[in-house]
Amino acid sequence: MEFPNPGKKNKSSRLLILLAGLSFLIPLTLIYLYRNYAGNFKIQGIEIKKLVGEENSPDTVSEKGKSTDSLVLLYPFKRFKLTRDTVKIAADSSFLGDSITVIKTTVTPIPSGYYSDEESGLKKPIPVFTSDTTKHRIMIMGDSQCGGLCFPLNDYCVENGHRLIMSLVWNSATIMNYAYADTVNSLINKYKPTFIFLVLGLNEIEAKDLANRKKAADLLVKKLNGIPYAWIGPANWKEDYGINKVFRGAADSNSFFLTRGMNLPRGGDGRHPNNEGYRLWMDSIATWLSCQAKFKVALRKPSKRNPFKSPIITLNAAKFRGF
Amino acid sequence: MPQNSVDFNFLTEFFKSIFNQHVLNDFLSYSTTKPWFFTEFSFLLVFGVFLVLYSFLSLSASIRKIYIILFSLFFYYKSSGLFLALFVLMIISDYLFAIFLHRRKGVFKKILLFLSLSYSLSFLLYFKYVNFFVQNLNTFFGTSFQENNLFLPIGISFYTFQSVSYLIDVYRNEIPPSKNLTDYSFYMTFFPHLVAGPIVRAKDFMPQIADAKIIDSNLFKESMMRIITGLLKKLFIADFLGKYVDIVHQTPEGFTGAENLLSMYAYSFQIYFDFSGYSDIAIGIALLLGYRLKENFENPYAASNITMFWRKWHISLSNWLRDYVYIPLGGNRKGLVLTYFFLFVTMLVGGFWHGADWRFVFWGLAHGLALIFHKMWTEIFPNDSKKWYKTIPAILITFHFVSFCWIFFRATSFDSAFSSIHQIFFQMRPADFAGFWFSRTQLCYVMIISALIIFIPFKLKDFLYSRVQLLPAFSWIIWIMIALQIIVQFKNEIVQPFIYFQF
Repeated sequence: MEFPNPGKKNKSSRLLILLAGLSFLIPLTLIYLYRNYAGNFKIQGIEIKKLVGEENSPDTVSEKGKSTDSLVLLYPFKRFKLTRDTVKIAADSSFLGDSITVIKTTVTPIPSGYYSDEESGLKKPIPVFTSDTTKHRIMIMGDSQCGGLCFPLNDYCVENGHRLIMSLVWNSATIMNYAYADTVNSLINKYKPTFIFLVLGLNEIEAKDLANRKKAADLLVKKLNGIPYAWIGPANWKEDYGINKVFRGAADSNSFFLTRGMNLPRGGDGRHPNNEGYRLWMDSIATWLSCQAKFKVALRKPSKRNPFKSPIITLNAAKFRGF
Repeated sequence: MPQNSVDFNFLTEFFKSIFNQHVLNDFLSYSTTKPWFFTEFSFLLVFGVFLVLYSFLSLSASIRKIYIILFSLFFYYKSSGLFLALFVLMIISDYLFAIFLHRRKGVFKKILLFLSLSYSLSFLLYFKYVNFFVQNLNTFFGTSFQENNLFLPIGISFYTFQSVSYLIDVYRNEIPPSKNLTDYSFYMTFFPHLVAGPIVRAKDFMPQIADAKIIDSNLFKESMMRIITGLLKKLFIADFLGKYVDIVHQTPEGFTGAENLLSMYAYSFQIYFDFSGYSDIAIGIALLLGYRLKENFENPYAASNITMFWRKWHISLSNWLRDYVYIPLGGNRKGLVLTYFFLFVTMLVGGFWHGADWRFVFWGLAHGLALIFHKMWTEIFPNDSKKWYKTIPAILITFHFVSFCWIFFRATSFDSAFSSIHQIFFQMRPADFAGFWFSRTQLCYVMIISALIIFIPFKLKDFLYSRVQLLPAFSWIIWIMIALQIIVQFKNEIVQPFIYFQF
């Protein structure tokens, strides 16, 4: 660039270019500092990011409960806050050790139960609160099985301080509907769950095009975009041709609950469990989720039936292709 | 610690992190997964530093030119890695070829031109089209040649066309060859237009090198406004629409006709905002440095016929095709039938330029046929009427035709494109629009805003621009901060590269 005559005009040009440079440099540096060093800036003793509800501070996150850490890291929607009140740790828990720096509050310990350890086959007592006690916004979606499972799930949620925010019952749906429609994305965007139950497979027990189903299953996992989930396999009424294996392969390790083989009381059609069957099913899922699942969730058994207040969206795959 | 506090220890960590070996290595090396383009956080930060240093540079024009050239070369390295060497080779060879070309006459001059063009085009043809050629050879002739694992250097289509235009202009004696390698390198490497256009002609740009504008308050405001609007168009609107378009185009058969139709509109908006946003940023940055690039878009979707559309869409490319393909072939000087044929061939080349795939060729052919049809129509029904009841339907028809052709541009294959079209025509249910509105309200709002911006009369835009000019210069630092914060809030986690980036 030529500046033929040094003078006032040139000085102002330099100033303007300097101003332009600073116009980019200053905001970007501030954004970078906010994203990476916000913990150093406090107003009234509270970090700036906490004030705007963006992040939980380190002292409310369990050090032992790594699933909580991973929940925070994986969860892309930072709309809800984990406050001091939402984390409850039993003061005398022997499983947590001394290295925990969580806030300790008094809480009624759950009654001990037992579970079967998969590897050793031995019955072991359910440990007290090793699972994640974070309070979740739970969404359940799947095929018609959701229509029955959502009720005992709701009981568990109310008992344990979670919120069942929405149940999607897509009758006759398969993995193909979920993978290739926009329904999952749009509902996640709308309801912003922190934990998802997927219940699929009842309508594809007899499916043999496993390669296509695998592709769809992989796609569905991607759609969940890092939100912790539990994929519940279908309540097989007969042997399948491999759909359970496909789902298990697509899901994260220890995120798939194999229902096949459970002896559940069935309804009139001989396929769907009846009410009692759904409750037994949910009890098993809750035990697995508390002890063995990759994304653990503390689920104490409810002592009573609780009112159902959340929306249920019912779709019919024969008529609706998703949105 | 006091209640309101800043722990300044972070400054030590901050500076340690910047001057950390790992970070410096990262900054100085090229990454295939994170190539630089104008909307990268790291580029914008470095660009700010570039401008600050630029303002302190000496008054010497040579030093400033070399500074910009070095930054441009670094920018290209961050975009394409070691293909920088190829690019530098092309610059030197063009420079030398042009000097020899200018000195020769007659047949020898033609041979030199042929050699220079072959050399320039060979890289483009090899990197972009060799696998396409091999695939089709294998498909149609049953051969089994192996395809190469090739990476397309970023911007090769753009700078190759620039190089070709320079050589032809020198051949035609329209411009003298550059006698200064620095000046020619400056023209070719100038980073605002380097990787995704506009395709700048030497005769428009080279005179500016010797006589660059001195930035005053008006130019400053204009350039900052172009940059901000470009960033917002690309990162706020185009990327947001792109999220939906990608979902539908993964499996169009899994979506209703309404969704496919709305995806078609969304892609039309996306490609416009993406590309025009990028062009705005390029023009704004160039202006900040004192150089004016020509407009690349002039409200193309408000065109009332396809001929007008091509005068307003990617203007630099359509002008290039007109001047270096259509007119040399014969233009409209050899009768009506040949005029149509030359138009057809020109659009074929245009389609092919966009990508090594039969879909782009099909897209080009469709536009070629539309141009021919329009020419025939105007021969039979010459009509200059600008009445609103003729203009509005004409605009809508042209827009829908262009949007329909974009389906082939965006689809991943012909099958996918035809699936989408099939869904639009045979799976259309009015009730699905209501469902779409309720489940994707935010997307609908963005599409409505996009449509309003696109179809807004041009004079209104000028009016808005002139009002924005009244804002004081120092306030732009605040507007940039607001714009960047909006962008960061809405930014896709995976930034969509510019659609035209890989051409």
